[in-house]
Amino acid sequence: MEKAEDMKWESLERQGSIVASPDGRIDEASAQSFADQLGQSVILAAKQPQQRLVVDLGGIDYMSSRGLRGLTLAKRQADEVNVSVVLAAPNDMMREILAISRYDKLFTVTATLDEAFA
Amino acid sequence: MRVRFWGTRGSLPVATTAATVQDKIAKALMVAQGHVFDNLDAAYAFAEGNLDFATNGSYGGATTCIEIDVGGDEFIVCDMGSGLRAFGIDAMGRCAGGHARVYHFFMSHLHWDHIMGFPFFAAAFDPNAKIVIHSGHEDCEQALRRQQEEISFPVAFDWLRADIRFVTLETGKSYDIGSVKVELMEQRHSHNSFGYRFTDSAGKVTIFSTDSEHKIEEMDGENAITQFFDQADLVICDTMYSLADSVSMKEDWGHSSNIVAIDLCHSAGAKRLALFHHEPVYSDEDVQRMHRESIRYEELTRDGRPLDVLCAYDGLDLTL
Repeated sequence: MEKAEDMKWESLERQGSIVASPDGRIDEASAQSFADQLGQSVILAAKQPQQRLVVDLGGIDYMSSRGLRGLTLAKRQADEVNVSVVLAAPNDMMREILAISRYDKLFTVTATLDEAFA
Repeated sequence: MRVRFWGTRGSLPVATTAATVQDKIAKALMVAQGHVFDNLDAAYAFAEGNLDFATNGSYGGATTCIEIDVGGDEFIVCDMGSGLRAFGIDAMGRCAGGHARVYHFFMSHLHWDHIMGFPFFAAAFDPNAKIVIHSGHEDCEQALRRQQEEISFPVAFDWLRADIRFVTLETGKSYDIGSVKVELMEQRHSHNSFGYRFTDSAGKVTIFSTDSEHKIEEMDGENAITQFFDQADLVICDTMYSLADSVSMKEDWGHSSNIVAIDLCHSAGAKRLALFHHEPVYSDEDVQRMHRESIRYEELTRDGRPLDVLCAYDGLDLTL
């Protein structure tokens, strides 16, 4: 079993929403930290006027099913407090993983961060 | 160890329609235009080399039935889906050639699609056959008897001629049955299901893990699953849904996804994964696309030894 890792994370307010920017690989070792941080970002987003969480995937180069399932847990938490979740700026690999898992049908996905605010 | 897949479809048997056959023939003709074949062998060779599996073949439509052949005197069979009928006919032929009429079944669970083949299993009518049905469920006999009650089937269970016995197995134990070591693991599914780990005398390992849901709230518990799959030569895994479906509309329907199966096999250091228990609404092209996407996901997420991702189909015969 891999050792749990904390991951780099930044949550900033932008245009009445929260932009969460994780960084690195999301695998078995970092998935719990990813899920915990997502949960915190949902709480922050619920206090914003737009009640929206934009997850900037630009810094994520890889995500296993554990990370994807963490996104689902966060979306459930977000639904309970009327927060919408948008996935933004996936790299080519992440875009493929979202398509193969059909997560691009579960979430709104935008090509860039700016598009999430268009 | 050889593994033969007699039924690979999930939930409900499906049959090929005339429209499906016409579609395959039309696609083959489009690929073959301009070619002249001197004989059937040349046509077969062209089809094999130029057509994809969904056009040149089919994943089939029989429900779960898998034979584990370790070269012993007894037949070892996982589940009694509609694929059991074809296995039974083949086995009778082998028995006519001298194979012992002894059958050890290992049941994942007792749902309809996993037991419906038993009333059509030829050896059940053979007075010289011995059938031992192993299950993690104590109510296995009840399930098999019930499906042959008059309201459901014209031939009663008690009319069967074979010597039929039921054995309940427990998790956490290791059993030497026939020529294999057998261990089982409880899985999440309606009325529970059980996964099996078969080890032959040469140390080859096949895992049979179908009808198993991996809940997102229970990801911490997946370490037990990867331990059960550890270093397996082949993992036969329930990959019925996309990950998105398994966590949304089809959550709690008791099934898993190709994505989670690959991650579990990666963590376990398994060598091969057989995608299994195909969604009955999927066409051959849908299953083939799922297979290609699964291979791609394995490549994208690989962090060590490659995992060979193959797609089970009715008639697949693997040698490990």
